[in-house]
Amino acid sequence: MSHVLTQEKPNIVQRLVRDHSPLVIVLVLVFMAICIIGAATAPNFLTIFNFKTIIRDAAIVGIMAIGLTFVTLSGNFFLLSMKETAALSIIAFATCMAAGYGFPISFLVTMGIATAAGAIQGLLIGLGGNPIVVTLGAAGLFFGIGSWWSDNLVVSFRRPHGAEWLGTGSTFGLPNITIAFVIIAIVAEFVLRKTSFGRQVYLIGANRAAGRATGHENFAMAIKVCIIASICSAFVAVAFSAQVSSAHVNYFSSSFGSSGDMTIMVIATVMVGGNSIMGGYGSTLRSSLGAIFISTIDNMMVLHGFNSGPRVLAVGLMIVFSIMVFALVRRGSRAEE
Amino acid sequence: MNKFAKVCRSIAVGAVALTVSSTSIWAEGSIVSFNGPAGEAYIGKFIKGIKSTAELKGFDIKVFENQFNQAEQDQQVQQVLAAGQLPDVFIWWPSDAVAGLGSLRALAKTGIPVLKINQLPNEQDKKYIFGYAGPDDRLRARNAGYMMREAAAAKKAAGGSGFNVLALSYPHSYGGYELSINAFKEAIAGSDLKIIGDVDEGFGQANGYKGAAKMIAALQGQSIDFVYGMDDAILTGGIKALEEAGMVMGKDVIAVGTVCNGDKQLIEEGKQFGTTLQSPLHEGQLAIKLVEEYLATGKLTNYINFTPNPSVTKETIETTALRGFDGKLYSIEELCSGAW
Repeated sequence: MSHVLTQEKPNIVQRLVRDHSPLVIVLVLVFMAICIIGAATAPNFLTIFNFKTIIRDAAIVGIMAIGLTFVTLSGNFFLLSMKETAALSIIAFATCMAAGYGFPISFLVTMGIATAAGAIQGLLIGLGGNPIVVTLGAAGLFFGIGSWWSDNLVVSFRRPHGAEWLGTGSTFGLPNITIAFVIIAIVAEFVLRKTSFGRQVYLIGANRAAGRATGHENFAMAIKVCIIASICSAFVAVAFSAQVSSAHVNYFSSSFGSSGDMTIMVIATVMVGGNSIMGGYGSTLRSSLGAIFISTIDNMMVLHGFNSGPRVLAVGLMIVFSIMVFALVRRGSRAEE
Repeated sequence: MNKFAKVCRSIAVGAVALTVSSTSIWAEGSIVSFNGPAGEAYIGKFIKGIKSTAELKGFDIKVFENQFNQAEQDQQVQQVLAAGQLPDVFIWWPSDAVAGLGSLRALAKTGIPVLKINQLPNEQDKKYIFGYAGPDDRLRARNAGYMMREAAAAKKAAGGSGFNVLALSYPHSYGGYELSINAFKEAIAGSDLKIIGDVDEGFGQANGYKGAAKMIAALQGQSIDFVYGMDDAILTGGIKALEEAGMVMGKDVIAVGTVCNGDKQLIEEGKQFGTTLQSPLHEGQLAIKLVEEYLATGKLTNYINFTPNPSVTKETIETTALRGFDGKLYSIEELCSGAW
């Protein structure tokens, strides 16, 4: 006589209840309910045009967040110089454009400067410098250079110019900066998941000692990820300058967005995406979705007629909420282990 | 004491000595100005104006910049007062007029006259200052409203229809918002113009773009025929968003701004109907002119002194010029703080 042991496969609800604490589930459900009600009641929310607006809005912060995610995943926390790297880059780009060098040369010069900016920070972090301290110092340095270089004035270049396709152009009805965001998100995710470099990022971020034991030092990794983050900042700077045909060191300062400081917004986006601040866990896809998520909430509130005060409050609450849920989920999964 | 500590002590002593020596050489007719950072385009030009005019008039001026931070500005005030080497006049541009009242009171308590600039005096700080120099948010917005009225009347006369207005505003918590929007509303009252949306994404071009893009989505089904930008930087971003949404500026939508901190080319191309000038250079010059007048006579002819806010359109942009308080004639290029 034979006995066949059968184990019924749990459905999605059972899996959710099994894998997460009741508090997390309640919090997520409440949040989802708020989003659904908001979307259903916000006029013109569910339109193609509005979805394009949301993604376009998310692109600037999203691209920078993708770059910063490499730094965070590698266990090097954050670059607090994202905004200032963009400030220096935008001055470099606009100065070159105003001097008549054309888009390709201006772009390459800007990327060269951003690469140097990233390499310097990566070098110091790789040598053991505290990422917070190093990048705070670098932030002052980059902003100061940009400010001195431009004499604190707006640098403008006249239309038509060779960068308009990036700043204001569109393809198949989609703004080119939106397309760039999607491409960068896909490429970044591919690099992280499918290349040995990507696996090294996770390895060093999750366990630096294990990385060292397998011949992967943080020194080289810190330089590489800082360069990636700086180049993403510079790309955003180029796109923004191309859009408005000008540059100023303060274009990315605290008045950027109703949600506050650009660097803080980028860090918040990485955190809302659920990436581990300690490294080794997360993805650029999460950061991209984090940017879209924040943009969606902000958009919904505008459609409901809220002014900037409540919107800043909502984004702040959302960030706290996301980090809290993430921490609870992680704690739950660690307890299971 | 180890070597490092000795070096640190030497540097500290040197820095103190340098500070004392630099503050003990006040000339007759000295000014201390507390204002925002030169890194901001408008304030950068203001500082240039105030310094060059002070030099021209023979004043010794020291400028203390804060990063839009009232706590930092309060600390600077305490440092200046503690140093004991007081100037003949203080120029006060508070980072936050309400939160900075304590510092203004402390400055006034020294007996040194204080000139307030940029932000209109309120009832509380009037007793601590001898006058005001700066822009008039209301006049600027009113002129923008009149320009839009003029454009609307021309549109109507040509058989056009559609007079919906989108306002791209300063943050609603900012003091200049209420003054601007109320003055603008007064100016367009009784016309066909009607405000159908008001978004306050924030200052600057990026926020103007984002705010306008969201409002275009929110107002789908209604036409946006006119756009009022509380300043040209916000409006410049807004115009980009409207263009990306397929609207033809100057034809489908008529845009009017203020301050001249945006993109001059938009006016030249007819994409922006007009703006009202607000010259940071004049603001700096006017402040020094009033200091000179007060020190010479002990009073001001006018307690409130506004900088001029002339309107500029495509037709007048190349010919408009303003005479400075130093007697020189300044072109548009020199007057504005934006990408001009």
